[in-house]
Amino acid sequence: MDAIIKKRIKQVLKGDQNAYAEIVELYKDKVYQLCYRMLGNRHEAEDMAQEAFIRAYVNIASFNIELKFSTWLYRIATNLCIDRIRKKKPDYYLDAEVSGTDGLTMYSQIPSDTRLPEDEVENMELQDIIQREISNLPEKYRSVIVLKYIEELSLNEISEILDMPLGTVKTRIHRGREALRHQLRNV
Amino acid sequence: MKCPEKYIAYMHEYLDEEISKEDALELKAHLIKCGDCHRHFQELEKSLALVKSVAHISAPDDFTMRVMNALPKEKKKVGVQR
Repeated sequence: MDAIIKKRIKQVLKGDQNAYAEIVELYKDKVYQLCYRMLGNRHEAEDMAQEAFIRAYVNIASFNIELKFSTWLYRIATNLCIDRIRKKKPDYYLDAEVSGTDGLTMYSQIPSDTRLPEDEVENMELQDIIQREISNLPEKYRSVIVLKYIEELSLNEISEILDMPLGTVKTRIHRGREALRHQLRNV
Repeated sequence: MKCPEKYIAYMHEYLDEEISKEDALELKAHLIKCGDCHRHFQELEKSLALVKSVAHISAPDDFTMRVMNALPKEKKKVGVQR
């Protein structure tokens, strides 16, 4: 896969914009998933994932072709999500009112118009609970937990993505796991 | 907490797959004896299993097309049309 990516990046650098579509195809699900688990909202995740690919494209000349493209792309996406989380801190809690929605809380934003079989509903509820608890993690723990347990990346790669010493990544993962333990043990 | 803090540290080293063989054996022996630490460890494993279990979601079908349409064009129109 790395060879294909390198080839496509070189084509993009030569001005072949269409070659970028294949890069997007290859990474779209992982980047979208990362953004969704960080932000807990599909609409925002779509915006951020799209923005990450646009920024990667615009800055592709600054990418060192000898490095792993996915690490660089994840770094862009993670930073965008972290910025977004910091900006919306006031309504980061689930019970908080979402600005401009007249008393709607984030709970009520979970779509409920589609009827699902009961077991699927149960499954959905557990998924929502888990996502809610991921969203309840402080941002500095959330990013490492999502990168490690959702994207299944190595500690070394996480340290590169977050531009953070390995020791700090480990400490945050440990604290993140303890926080999750408190939040999820009675689920 | 009556147990030494080191057991919690061992649990995390174990979860990071970075625990030494000796420490792993010591942890295992301790977990057999100590109900509190055993529960702590099970809760950690359970919460991680739950996080890992969230179904992998895919980007919307038109995602790539939308990114491609949003890319800056190679030859931009300069200036604002009035």
